[in-house]
Amino acid sequence: MKKSILTAIVIILTLSGSYAQKIKGSDTVLPLTQEEIEAYKKEKPSASISVTGGGSGVGITALLNGTTDIAQSSRKIKFDEKQKLAEAGKAVKEVIIAYDALSIVVHPSNKVSQLTREQLEKIFTGKITNWKEVGGDDMKIIPYSRETSSGTYEFFKESVLKNKNYMNGILSMPATGGIIQSISQTKGAIGYVGFAYVTDKVKALNVSYNNGKTFIEPTIANAKNKSYPIVRPLYYYYTNLSAEGKSFIDFILTPKGQNVVSKVGYITIK
Amino acid sequence: MIISKKTKEQIAFAIFRILGIITLGVLIWILGFICFNGISVMSWDFIFSYPEEGMTSGGIFPAIVGTLYLVLGSIIIAFPLGVMSAIYTVEYAKNNWVTKLIRIMTNNLASIPSIVFGLFGMTLFVNTLAFGDSIIAGSLTLSLLILPVVIRTTEEALKAVPNTYRTGSMALGANKIQTIKRIILPTAFPNIITGLVLSIGRVSGETAPILFTVVAYFLPKLPSSIFDQVMALPYHLYVLATSGTDIEKSRPVAYGTALVLIIIVLLMNTVAGVIKNQFQKNKK
Amino acid sequence: MNKVLEKFVESLLKMSSAVTGITVLLIIIFLFKEGLGLFKSSTVEKGYTLVVNTQNPVNRLTSVEIKEIFDSEIENWKDVGGSNDDIRIFRFDEIFTMYSDEELGDGYSLLPQKLGEIIQSDSTIIAFLPLKYVPKNMSGIKELKTDIISISDFFLGTTWLPTATPSALFGILPLIVGTLLVSFIAIIIAIPFGVGVAIYLSEIASEKVRKVMKPAIELLAGIPSVVYGFFGLVVVAPIVQKVGGLTLGETAFTGSLILAIMALPTIITISEDALRNTPKAMRDASYALGANRWQTIYKVVIPYASSGISAAIILGIGRAIGETMAVLMVTGNAAVMPHSLFESVRTIPATIAAELGEAPGGGTHYQSLFLLGCVLFLITLIISIISEKISGRKIIKE
Repeated sequence: MKKSILTAIVIILTLSGSYAQKIKGSDTVLPLTQEEIEAYKKEKPSASISVTGGGSGVGITALLNGTTDIAQSSRKIKFDEKQKLAEAGKAVKEVIIAYDALSIVVHPSNKVSQLTREQLEKIFTGKITNWKEVGGDDMKIIPYSRETSSGTYEFFKESVLKNKNYMNGILSMPATGGIIQSISQTKGAIGYVGFAYVTDKVKALNVSYNNGKTFIEPTIANAKNKSYPIVRPLYYYYTNLSAEGKSFIDFILTPKGQNVVSKVGYITIK
Repeated sequence: MIISKKTKEQIAFAIFRILGIITLGVLIWILGFICFNGISVMSWDFIFSYPEEGMTSGGIFPAIVGTLYLVLGSIIIAFPLGVMSAIYTVEYAKNNWVTKLIRIMTNNLASIPSIVFGLFGMTLFVNTLAFGDSIIAGSLTLSLLILPVVIRTTEEALKAVPNTYRTGSMALGANKIQTIKRIILPTAFPNIITGLVLSIGRVSGETAPILFTVVAYFLPKLPSSIFDQVMALPYHLYVLATSGTDIEKSRPVAYGTALVLIIIVLLMNTVAGVIKNQFQKNKK
Repeated sequence: MNKVLEKFVESLLKMSSAVTGITVLLIIIFLFKEGLGLFKSSTVEKGYTLVVNTQNPVNRLTSVEIKEIFDSEIENWKDVGGSNDDIRIFRFDEIFTMYSDEELGDGYSLLPQKLGEIIQSDSTIIAFLPLKYVPKNMSGIKELKTDIISISDFFLGTTWLPTATPSALFGILPLIVGTLLVSFIAIIIAIPFGVGVAIYLSEIASEKVRKVMKPAIELLAGIPSVVYGFFGLVVVAPIVQKVGGLTLGETAFTGSLILAIMALPTIITISEDALRNTPKAMRDASYALGANRWQTIYKVVIPYASSGISAAIILGIGRAIGETMAVLMVTGNAAVMPHSLFESVRTIPATIAAELGEAPGGGTHYQSLFLLGCVLFLITLIISIISEKISGRKIIKE
């Protein structure tokens, strides 16, 4: 009994040798990285890359602590994060692997089909609470948000809320998929999700960033030509990279890798 | 109208029977729902292949293997420790404040919510001891969770060994270690194993403690070292149910994962039951 | 030789039995060490500070005031005791839109200087800056004094906004209320079923029925919480939404339903043990007095087992309070004071599970989650002590 346990331990310890490349961070980039790894593995079957979510902030913190090789992020690295990495003697490098556009989604039965940024700001900060105030039915607005400090949460706060804080007690879902799920079941709901997540169970709204002069439809084409306003780059950050990591990033930037980007529903870099 | 004693009894018993049926019904509903929806994706391919198409098709092999590693890891740590601890409190310790304290601590350990173990595992194993997110950190965290289970079942098993066995062995000139090794442990063994099997069931289903200590969202390859991350069945189900780009599309895989999890738990419960029954038969 | 071996084995065993105690101790030490650090932190984000012009009479702001200023809810200095001027908010990143990297000098050496000039020139400005780049020895600017996060802010605050900048709010009252609400309603639902089934199993059911029911209930205990959560999410939440005519299926009530099912096995198993422990002599005495089975159960067995049943119920509460994954998946996670059962709530364990992965290590958010862990630990500890006291009472009586 004891002996077999000991042998097991020895075997496990001797197996401890190679480390997989670790990618950690944004939940928005997560499905993309996951499918890129799948595609990359078809090219190079020996590939050993793991990917974990947690949020952009966590990915960058992990990079600082040395517990990940690549940090995936849906927002630009913050100034003080960069400074901390610099203080630790690590020069951080940045690659944009794709673009993501945020859609504002509501229940399909909702009459409202367009909103201005100002209206969105008021909805998510709790100043507008009924759909009739923005031209819809007399129905309570139920805004959904992502968990705090995910890159999406922060990007939305920056771009749409102009850095104001969300209303107190906003419903927050642990992951983006949950937002779609809930909005498709809830009549008065509104939420924001990446393009990749939009399904026919929810309705995506047209958005105006110029006080209602023009409303832009959230399509890939509009995001690409920059007329749709809520677009952001998706980044990989790293300090020093193994051959494996480098060839993986190179793969993503090839046409093949970028095909995966459009397949997942994001916008290619070119 | 006066209700007779007899009618009152009948009404009361009928109510209890209905409560029992409802409880059983809920269990059947949950199991039936998962089985009914999960069975359609169940195949060898589902069990032995990797997730594909952004986890909307393919299998769950890495998650099964990951859970297996975590079970193995936590059992290797918790089982010997728990059994030795129980042997001490039952066979050696005198009934003083030390044993009392140990018992209180064991009870408290059992009542701590699993998420608190997750917090603890993260600060001690992942950060302070710098294991990172790894099998070893996850296994250590899980082992703390099942330690009270192993200790309790072993204690009960040891206490069930009749005292005459001990005195008989001693009378034949055996010392304490010999008595424990040759007489007490073999007699108590099946019951101890029951605890082991039950804790396997428990470890395979826990999510909160591994959330911050070991799990990965996706791995294209099986882990090759105890410092690697793994995927795990319960976390995989959580991910499939709440994230991913297309929840509807990944639903079948989620049902399948839930079914596999339930089968593991069912299996462990049955095995534990069989061993216990066998043991009770032998005793007679 | 044998003696030495025996001593060695004994001390080895002793050591392993001390492990549980050590673990509990370590958990306490580590949790509290991380958590209590929160009360030493400033309400303003670590490494940052707020700077104003010296002409501004305001010297101190509370965390709520800071939040409302940066949310544009307070727009005039007179609302916080200053002059009647509109507040101009200046966020650090804005400097990079005003000056290029070259203009800020090598290694940003000119950055503090430039920031200082901006603040000097505007008496209504409030600037949120990294401590590192606050201009030193420069006239015309001053740092605002801010409070240290206090124990009452934490326990009595009604706003949980742990990542709000510049000043996060860590009021855990809505989380505590949410946790207790979901758990107590769960137990109220579970009590009739749990105690009823326990009575049924121990007093009424035939041996054959028992043989089916007992393993079934053990199985109910064995189903992983994430499976319960999944079931709650795809089956129970839509039903609750439809039946209740609610706008939203993920409510406190949905969580309570799932938790009730999860707490059932604990209540049933322990209550049944307590009921079965009623001495035969007591039952016989009751029958001899002409009571039938129901009267015996009602008047003799249940009162005798009541302490055991109470202990079972309290343990059930403990299990419900600590439950994480199932609740996380079905309660909607809105950190507001719940006004009704049919609103979303956020519990303590769900908060930890959802946010810890996203909270950078060592920050105030991270510390506050550990402190939540401490609170959870203490609540469950108290519950387990109470239940032990209650079930222990009977033994003393005997």
